[in-house]
Amino acid sequence: MSGPSGTEQGDAADAPPGEERLDAREFGGGLKSYLTGLLLAALLTGLSFLVLDVPFVWGPAVPMALIVLAVAQMGVHLVFFLHVTTGPDDTNNVLALAFGVLVCALVLFGSIWIMDHLARGTMVEAAPAEEVGAPR
Amino acid sequence: MSAAEAQEDPYVLGRGRGGADAAGEGRGGDDARPSGRGEGGPAPKRTVVGYGFWIYLLSDIILFAGFFAAYAVLSGDLAGGPGPQELFEQRRLALETAALLISSFTCGLAGIAAGRGAMLRTQGWLLVTGLLGAVFLGLEVQEFATLVAEGAGPQRSAFLSAFFALVGLHGLHIAAGLLWAGTMMAQLAVKGFRPAIERRLMCFALFWHALDIVWVGIFTVVYLLGLAG
Amino acid sequence: MSVLGKLDWSAIPIDQPIPLAAGGGAIALMLAALGWVTVKGHWPYLWREWITSVDHKRIGVMYVVLALAMLVRGFIDAIMMRTHQALTVGGGSGYLPPEHFNQIFSAHGTIMIFFGAMPFMVGLMNFVVPLQLGVRDVAFPRLNSTAFWLTASGALLVNLSLVLGEFARTGWLPYAPLSERSYSPGVGVDYYLWAVQIGGVGTLMAGINIVTTIVKTRAPGMGYLRMPMFCWTALCASMLIVAAFPILTATLTMLTLDRYLGFHFFTNAAGGSPMMFVNLIWAWGHPEVYILILPAFGVFSEVIATFSGKPLFGYRSMVAATLFITVVSFMVWLHHFFTMGAGANVNAAFGIATSIIAVGTGVKIYNWLFTMYGGRLRFPTPMLWSLGFLFTFIIGGMTGVLLAVPAADFILHNSLFLVAHFHNVIVSGTVFGAIAGYTFWFPKAFGFTLDERWGKRAFWLSLAGFVIVFGALYIAGLEGMTRRLQHVAVAQWGPLLYVSVAGVAVMIAGVAAQITQLVVSIRRRDALRDDTGDPWEGRSLEWATPSPPPAFNFATLPEVGGEEPYWRIKERAIASQQERSASDYEPITMPRRSATGFVTAFFATVIGFAMVWQIWWLAALGLVCAYGAFVAFAWRDENEDTFSAEEVARIERARRGAAA
Repeated sequence: MSGPSGTEQGDAADAPPGEERLDAREFGGGLKSYLTGLLLAALLTGLSFLVLDVPFVWGPAVPMALIVLAVAQMGVHLVFFLHVTTGPDDTNNVLALAFGVLVCALVLFGSIWIMDHLARGTMVEAAPAEEVGAPR
Repeated sequence: MSAAEAQEDPYVLGRGRGGADAAGEGRGGDDARPSGRGEGGPAPKRTVVGYGFWIYLLSDIILFAGFFAAYAVLSGDLAGGPGPQELFEQRRLALETAALLISSFTCGLAGIAAGRGAMLRTQGWLLVTGLLGAVFLGLEVQEFATLVAEGAGPQRSAFLSAFFALVGLHGLHIAAGLLWAGTMMAQLAVKGFRPAIERRLMCFALFWHALDIVWVGIFTVVYLLGLAG
Repeated sequence: MSVLGKLDWSAIPIDQPIPLAAGGGAIALMLAALGWVTVKGHWPYLWREWITSVDHKRIGVMYVVLALAMLVRGFIDAIMMRTHQALTVGGGSGYLPPEHFNQIFSAHGTIMIFFGAMPFMVGLMNFVVPLQLGVRDVAFPRLNSTAFWLTASGALLVNLSLVLGEFARTGWLPYAPLSERSYSPGVGVDYYLWAVQIGGVGTLMAGINIVTTIVKTRAPGMGYLRMPMFCWTALCASMLIVAAFPILTATLTMLTLDRYLGFHFFTNAAGGSPMMFVNLIWAWGHPEVYILILPAFGVFSEVIATFSGKPLFGYRSMVAATLFITVVSFMVWLHHFFTMGAGANVNAAFGIATSIIAVGTGVKIYNWLFTMYGGRLRFPTPMLWSLGFLFTFIIGGMTGVLLAVPAADFILHNSLFLVAHFHNVIVSGTVFGAIAGYTFWFPKAFGFTLDERWGKRAFWLSLAGFVIVFGALYIAGLEGMTRRLQHVAVAQWGPLLYVSVAGVAVMIAGVAAQITQLVVSIRRRDALRDDTGDPWEGRSLEWATPSPPPAFNFATLPEVGGEEPYWRIKERAIASQQERSASDYEPITMPRRSATGFVTAFFATVIGFAMVWQIWWLAALGLVCAYGAFVAFAWRDENEDTFSAEEVARIERARRGAAA
């Protein structure tokens, strides 16, 4: 089905995003995907909590480990829950996703970089909180 | 549900264009079914709706990216107020995460049941999804109430403003999802499986799964990284 | 707090003659129009055929009408600013008090960008894209209608601020902390926030709709690389809308939270960071520039190819340049605030990226020149606007590259040089493109061409006026004059400001000629009628339809074959449709007209108005009603109409018969 020549079924199926195509007719197949996803996601979530709690992870490595685990879990969700694949029938969906992720990354890391530079360049200190509860 | 509707992708990049594109020429013009060779005419409605909603979700994710950026930049600005380590509670976080993750799973089960046309199971799983979402929302409201009661409301510091806005936005999405799910359940009960309603179910599943992905970002970046200091 | 929140009689500016007169005039005009419609009994027609229409062509036309009205409103603001400044040279006090002057420059920018230029571009995309793709409708017709009415609702809120309360005094981007409650306690910024948010949601919907239309619904055989250039630019501009507008929504939501609930995102106190506002708003703001300009580039590509009698030169490089601009436009936003205080590394990186993005535009300019080279050139009005664009836009682009050098920007930041630069790219890019597209596609929409004589007069007057106004402002900027001055204390700038007022006078004549063109054309419509559906010898599929196209655009979907020029596609499409006998037609299902958009926008307006004036119960009521309406609309089953095959054949024959 995902073969480039599409010999057996003519052509690749056009699919809306999130559609489970390979096993759509098989109840077990769809279930398997969600079950795998659930297990992997639970595992990764558990690991995230664990990394924080156990003493033997080197302190400075914790943030990086957490971020890696989170990215992995997002991948698990995308593949097993949202059924994003690399198949040719998914190209448009994946291209759109890639563009979105790129923009997110640019906004997020661009802002952090710019504002960090600014803070160091201008030595802005957090203003005292004398105006707490700000005027309405 | 899609087996009958499964149509070929007319828009695969890198295929079916150029000289080898004999199919485009030889095919009858009034053929409703696309050739799948790159340019087969308008896609089926289900694909169009799914893709449109997918694009909306991307814009929604970018909306969250804006709030994430604000949180990342402002999270150090405590203004002398309490910080993440004093405020966040790991047990509640674990419960919230579990509720949302399982609801994402049951939402998938509802989709499978709908695909098989099983009304009762669809409604049941949707109900479970909604209840788990409600549990999540309840926990979040409880957390917000506790924080405000402790004097750590959003007006306290820029960090807390960014925190309440980011997490609250996610909560707002969950609430909207609950409203949507409830409305859809009523619609499903009254009207049964119709193409339009099945498309909405598909969009709801996309929405719910996407919210779970956003939550992965939130519990990592906001809570766990905050607790890690 | 009273039942009406902050709203009371003091909201009406009785003590300020100018806004009162302007607002009163606008209200009188609207009442007159409504009265005329009522007396003539046009309401049922308007309601059925326009207000509830989900036909992409009708919606496109409504967008352009809204945009034209708003462009005039913004232009009046501009005239006031220029004349006021000129009057204050040499100790005069002008006629606008400071708080009013500030509202005017804020309203000018807001209206021109959000409710003038953007709706114009979205309108053109709406009208043209499905026709060029060879399909019957957009992907989401009802969403399309909702998008338009939300935009209109935003425009309504902005203009309401003229007679009820005030508008923001903060500039078209409400920089914090000035826009915070503590420094702007009035309703001005609130009007801005809610109007732009509601309009922004509409724009986002339009963007989603157009992306989906282009990616998922094209005529058989229309591969990506067979799409007309305008479709490519529409796709990229819509992707930018989808990716950039959420950032605007997020930023304005944060400001709203600051103002309404005392959050501390952008405040001075409690750790808030005003600079974060500047950073976030421009992360939207720069892509926005390309949202405005890319569709215009598409218009120029179509117009120049058509009137050169040649296929577009370097089609693939044009596509590549458009995609390049789309991605890189998200990597340059810091150049709007080089002077903020980030370090040299950051400034250098964004300065270089800014210079690089000009390469994409450079590629396009050369492609247009080479398209004309050796072509059989004709110079009707749309082509004149395109040529005017080529000459002036190059100047604007080059001053942009100049400003991209951080060191130069430190001198020119917030000067009139900058003002002249961005007007130079937005007016001679977007507005010229909009008018070129308007003149180009007008016969497709209404079946008669626009008067050429008045069109050419409008072009030459606008071009001359534009060059005079902003040429003078460029020089004033280089001499050190900063923007947004309510009072000009330096006498030496006086002559330049006088010159620029003279330019404004010429531009007024240009706008008057443009309006005259429309009036004259409507009166001479029988002489100007175009029965062929192809008045310009066009090269893309929209010209294969009759003018105006039937509701279903194409009785049979055209078949796009081969990578040949659209010329051949068009010829074949016309031939194949004319050969058909009635038996070849099939029933066509089209979406039924729907009040969804109008009702949604009505409640959005109510909610926005209630939030501006803090009438909480009304906002809540609006929200509940909106939800109720939403469910009611979602509950309906029948939302399509079917044209029977005989009816299709009859409509086609009637149209073609008129053509033959």
